[in-house]
Amino acid sequence: MSDTLHPAVETVAGSPRRYKRVVYGIFAVGIVGLFAGMLFDMALAGTTIYLLGAWLGSGLAAVLPRVSPATLTDERDIATHRHASGLTIRLIGGLGIGVVPALYALAAADLVTITPTMWGAIWMGSALFLVWGGCYTYVTRVQ
Amino acid sequence: MQTDLPERREAAGLSQGGLADAVGVTRQTINAIERDRYDPSLALAFELADYFDCRIEELFEPSADET
Repeated sequence: MSDTLHPAVETVAGSPRRYKRVVYGIFAVGIVGLFAGMLFDMALAGTTIYLLGAWLGSGLAAVLPRVSPATLTDERDIATHRHASGLTIRLIGGLGIGVVPALYALAAADLVTITPTMWGAIWMGSALFLVWGGCYTYVTRVQ
Repeated sequence: MQTDLPERREAAGLSQGGLADAVGVTRQTINAIERDRYDPSLALAFELADYFDCRIEELFEPSADET
């Protein structure tokens, strides 16, 4: 292990499993903080906790694999992320193609009401799919 | 992908972590390959074959459902 790393950083960066637990744990604390802030009407505190978690987690995820002499991430992590991303987009695509048009039809027939929350989810799924399409086009052109 | 990686690794007196360090991946990846839960990239397969001084097809064999 490097002599230049702080002992606390060295502990986290010494094992891939510990590194992932710490990074994901920091993200989780941030997300829980955000929802807790919303739930208990402390939006500013929740957002602060979220931003601290997001920045610290992102910073550690970006820096630690570069400074650690141990291998913290490898090709299997990349493959796992690709697999999970593909699965996510298939799920959203499946829901978008299979459910949303039916919702529109049912709403037009006044059989269901599309609530603002459902509209939000539809817009978010559509935006995500659009971003994925842009990324897919970019990747196919640069490969 | 079937492999005799565990036998070769143990014959070389190596732990999973030792082999992982030698080929530049995590111990979990070596474990996943040995348990047939992850198919290595071509680059890693070459790296492993090079380490054990054998050919890739001596180290890895497609499972029946992959042929």
